[in-house]
Amino acid sequence: MGKLTAEQVKRLADNFAHMANALGNYRYENFERLTKENNQFLKELHAKTLAHTTELYTQSAILVMDDAASSLEHIDSITLETQQLYKKLVGVQKILDRATSVLTLASAIISLDTKEITNSVKKLLTPES
Amino acid sequence: MQKPLSHNFVLILIATTLASCVNLKHVGEFSESSIEGIEKFNTLSYSFAKNCTDECLHKSIAALKIHNQTCLCTADKKADSITALIYHTTRGYFYGLTDISKNQLTNYNTDELTQTLATGEFGSLSLKEADVKAYSSISTIILRAFTDGYRRKKIKEYVTRANEPLQTLLHFLDLNLSGNLIGKLEVQKSSIKSFYFDLIANTDLSVFERTKFTEDYYEQIAALTAKQEELAIYSEVLKTIADGHNALYNNINKLTEDEIKGQLAIHGTQLKNLAHSFNINK
Repeated sequence: MGKLTAEQVKRLADNFAHMANALGNYRYENFERLTKENNQFLKELHAKTLAHTTELYTQSAILVMDDAASSLEHIDSITLETQQLYKKLVGVQKILDRATSVLTLASAIISLDTKEITNSVKKLLTPES
Repeated sequence: MQKPLSHNFVLILIATTLASCVNLKHVGEFSESSIEGIEKFNTLSYSFAKNCTDECLHKSIAALKIHNQTCLCTADKKADSITALIYHTTRGYFYGLTDISKNQLTNYNTDELTQTLATGEFGSLSLKEADVKAYSSISTIILRAFTDGYRRKKIKEYVTRANEPLQTLLHFLDLNLSGNLIGKLEVQKSSIKSFYFDLIANTDLSVFERTKFTEDYYEQIAALTAKQEELAIYSEVLKTIADGHNALYNNINKLTEDEIKGQLAIHGTQLKNLAHSFNINK
C-alpha cells in the first residue's frame, strides 16, 4: 500500500470525527439508562476517539509538505525571477540618472566651473540606493 | 520634401511604439488586493499549537491536576510552520507580480537628462533646447515600449508557469486552515461538550452551579465557533485569489481587453469585501 496523502488522512480524520460524535451522542441520549461504569467507559472511549481524530488532522497538515514540496519550489523560483526582472527594470532608470550625472560633470569640466565639478563628482560618488 | 517625410516617419514610430506600451494596472491592482487578502493570515487568532495547548489545558482541568502538567505540541508546531511556509511562498509571488506590473516601473524620467543636454556647454557642440526635448520624448517612448513589451512577455510567462503550482499551494493552505484546523476546533467542541455534559447532568450539584456550567459551556462554544467563522472567511479569500489568478491565466493573451480587466476588478472587489467582513468579524 502506498503512502497516504494529506487529503486522504484529512478524510480519515473527518470519518473518525463522525464516529466520535455518534459515540458521544449515544452516551448523551442514554445517560439515564447507562450504569455509572458504562457511562465512564463510553466517556473514555469517546475521549480517546477524539484524541486520535485531532492527531489525524495534525498529521494531515504535516503531510501537506510532501504534496506541496514541488509547488513550493516552482513558486519560489518564479518569485526570484520576478524580483530579478524588477531590479533590471528599475536599473534602466538608474542608468539614465547616472548618464545625466556624467554629462553634468562633462559640462562643468568644459566650462571650468569648479563648484559644479565638485558637486557633480559628489553626486557620482553617492552610492546607488 | 524631405522634412514632411521625416515627420511622418516620427509619427509612425510614435504610433507603433505607443501601441506597444501596455497598461498593466489591472494586473497590479488584482495582485495588490490578493496581498491584502492573503495577509489576513497574520491576524488569524488560532493555530495548531494554540489548539494543542488549549486541549492540554482542558485535560488538566478535567483531571483536576495543576502539578507537573506538560504539553507536548511538537507535531502541531510543525503543522504551523508548514502552513506558514506555504503562506509566505504564496505571498512572495504576489509581491513579485505587483512589483513588475507597476506602470511607474517603466515611466522613465528623462527630464534631468534633457535639461542637462539642452543647457550644457559641450565645446563646439551646441544643441537647441526644443530639439533636445523632442528627441528625448521620442527616446523615452521607445525605451518604454521596449521595456513594456519585455515586461508584458515576462508577466505572461510568469503567470502561465505559476498558475498550476499556485493553485496547489492555495489549495493546501486552505486544506490546513479550513479543513484541518476547523476540524480540530470541531473536536475541541466535542471534548468540551463531553466535559460539561456530566457536570450539568449531575443532580448532586445545585441548580445555580449547573446553570453556571451551562453558561460557561455556551460561552466556550461561541468562542470556538467565532474562530471557525474567521477561518471560513479566510478560506473564501483564498478561493477568490485562486479564481482571480485562474481568470488571469485563462486570458493571458488578452491582457489589454476590457473583459479581463472587468473580471480582475470583480475579484479585487470581492477580496476587499472579504477583508472588510474579516475586520468586522474580529
